[in-house]
Amino acid sequence: MAATRSRSKLLWDVISYVVLVGLAFIAIAPIVWTFLTSLKFEEDIVTRTMQYIPSRITFENYVKLWNQSGYPVLVINSLIVTTTTVLLCLLTGTVAAYAFSRFQFKGRTQLMLGYLVVRMFPAVLMIIPLFIIMRQVGLLDSTIGLAIAYTSFLLPLFVWMLKGFFDAAPKELESAARIDGTTRLGAMFMVVIPIARNGLLATCVFVAIAAWNEFLFALMLTTSQGSRTWPVGLQLMVGEFQLPWGMLAAGGMISILPVIVLFAIVQRAMVAGLTAGAVKG
Amino acid sequence: MATLSINSVRKSFGAVEVLNNIDIEVEDGGFLVLLGPSGCGKSTLLAIIAGLENSSGGDILIGDKNVNDVHPKDRNIAMVFQSYALYPTMPVRRNIGFGLEMRKVAPKDREAAVQRAAELLQIEHLLDRKPGQLSGGQRQRVAMGRAIVRNPDLFLFDEPLSNLDAKLRVEMRTEIKRLHDRLGTTTVYVTHDQVEALTLGTKVAVMKGGVIQQLADPETIYDRPANMFVAGFIGSPTMNFLKGTLEQGDGGLVLRHAAGTLALAGLQQDVAGFVGREVTAGIRPEMLDSGDGPASLTGVVDVVEPTGPDTMVIASVGGQLITARLGPKDRPRPGEPLTLTVDTTAINLFDPVSGNRI
Ligand SMILES: Nc1ncnc2c1ncn2[C@@H]1O[C@H](COP(=O)(O)OP(=O)(O)O)[C@@H](O)[C@H]1O
Ligand SMILES: [Mg+2]
Repeated sequence: MAATRSRSKLLWDVISYVVLVGLAFIAIAPIVWTFLTSLKFEEDIVTRTMQYIPSRITFENYVKLWNQSGYPVLVINSLIVTTTTVLLCLLTGTVAAYAFSRFQFKGRTQLMLGYLVVRMFPAVLMIIPLFIIMRQVGLLDSTIGLAIAYTSFLLPLFVWMLKGFFDAAPKELESAARIDGTTRLGAMFMVVIPIARNGLLATCVFVAIAAWNEFLFALMLTTSQGSRTWPVGLQLMVGEFQLPWGMLAAGGMISILPVIVLFAIVQRAMVAGLTAGAVKG
Repeated sequence: MATLSINSVRKSFGAVEVLNNIDIEVEDGGFLVLLGPSGCGKSTLLAIIAGLENSSGGDILIGDKNVNDVHPKDRNIAMVFQSYALYPTMPVRRNIGFGLEMRKVAPKDREAAVQRAAELLQIEHLLDRKPGQLSGGQRQRVAMGRAIVRNPDLFLFDEPLSNLDAKLRVEMRTEIKRLHDRLGTTTVYVTHDQVEALTLGTKVAVMKGGVIQQLADPETIYDRPANMFVAGFIGSPTMNFLKGTLEQGDGGLVLRHAAGTLALAGLQQDVAGFVGREVTAGIRPEMLDSGDGPASLTGVVDVVEPTGPDTMVIASVGGQLITARLGPKDRPRPGEPLTLTVDTTAINLFDPVSGNRI
């Protein structure tokens, strides 16, 4: 009896691990492969027999990408667009999320639902109207315009996520702060935001990553090297007659670096948030 | 310090009326307790006094000043919350001094005030900790420190002891009473615990369903409850209600109940209009004693609960269960017959239809 139970438990464990390792492999393998490809010589990439582990290593792809293809400009544009998007969301979204979390006003539910509905339409539907609007106001092919476009669909996500974190902060704390002498906004900045700090950070990182990786809007709304972001730039390297695999792989590796750094930040913040959330006894 | 006037205050959330025409006056230095079961609107009334919630009508006056349109921060009040509401990101020192900080008190004066408050509450050694590193009782003290440091006109407490264990609760209750005696600040204290209400209050407002059932000093509330709700809510074990008919006997008024009659000598009420009608007699367990007397009840012992200083005996008198608080040595056995003498001067008669004291 005991033996069968422990045997079935063992079987169960084995199955779990096989599934988990399989999923992890699917998630990690493409990145590892891209990384390995970025270190190969051009002639070692397209070969008759598949060569997984490079026999010789070069950083030539990275050097070429950085010096010849204008990649630094693309990365800087992406940084500007991402930062602007996050700032726009922070400025408008934080106050909006706080209002949604704390006030009962007319149309509150409808507004919140409206925010969700915006997210339900496929992005493609919004691109053409956005394109026309951006052209009208002269923001087409500019980093600011692109950031505004990103804000239009990332802000709802930002507000919803942040509202969740604000909801988790006890209302009595603000009452205490208001009696102690702050205004409502003062209570938000001095008491609620410090509590929701990790949540705010995490939300910002999600928005930043979404803006950093976005491709479709960037493709439609930017036309020149001056405002183009890295996903579009990378795609444009694929020419009709040549496919610079090594450089594409190197570009991919460079662009996920910021994402990895950001994720490391979120992870620490989230762990800190879980352990330090001792508001009540 | 100041007086507090609550004049015809009403509050509705949508169609739900939570407070119905509340009128209370608290004298300077008074201690008002709002007592009632959960959901009766105590916290809402407190929030309206604090300005955290708008009333749907009526006025709040602190001192002579109508504060209806005054922000909480400008009412010069301090509040202790049930959850303590300590700012989790700030150390105790800053928690206590936060109100002074917001009022732009110079850091040196602030530090001195925090130190004084901490000494008064014996929490000096905790000043550099974060709230998360404190026990429940310590948090409670910090919350009190935050309230007293500002020297407010009005203290507001919302069930401050209900998150503490029984022993600590009694300790802190004494502490609150001592603080009030010492500082003399006008106080409004919300609780659902009748012992807290009776021990602390100079005035108790018993509430139910957003209506004040009785507003009086603790003694009156206990001895002459305005209705059966107040009578049953106050006191532990709860007051016995003995149903019967009020009759004019040879020697005076008697209550004819299922198991005989009870002479009502020395009744403190004018009940002339109720002779010949159904009434409910409210008899506190401690008004009963074992043995025969001029007024007595006989029944059969049902359950005996020794508590140490007393023995609670639940007896069936003509089918109605009556609890008596007897001496520690009194240990009747279940099933035995029991005669209880009644102190009839302390009986309250209620109209069973309206529930009001006659
Ligand atoms: N913001 C609110 N919206 C709707 N109903 C509320 C709100 N706050 C309190 N209530 C209702 O008002 C009643 C009184 O609440 P409260 O004052 O907290 O009771 P107590 O403190 O006496 O337990 C309750 O029935 C509660 O459900
Ligand atoms: Mg309450």
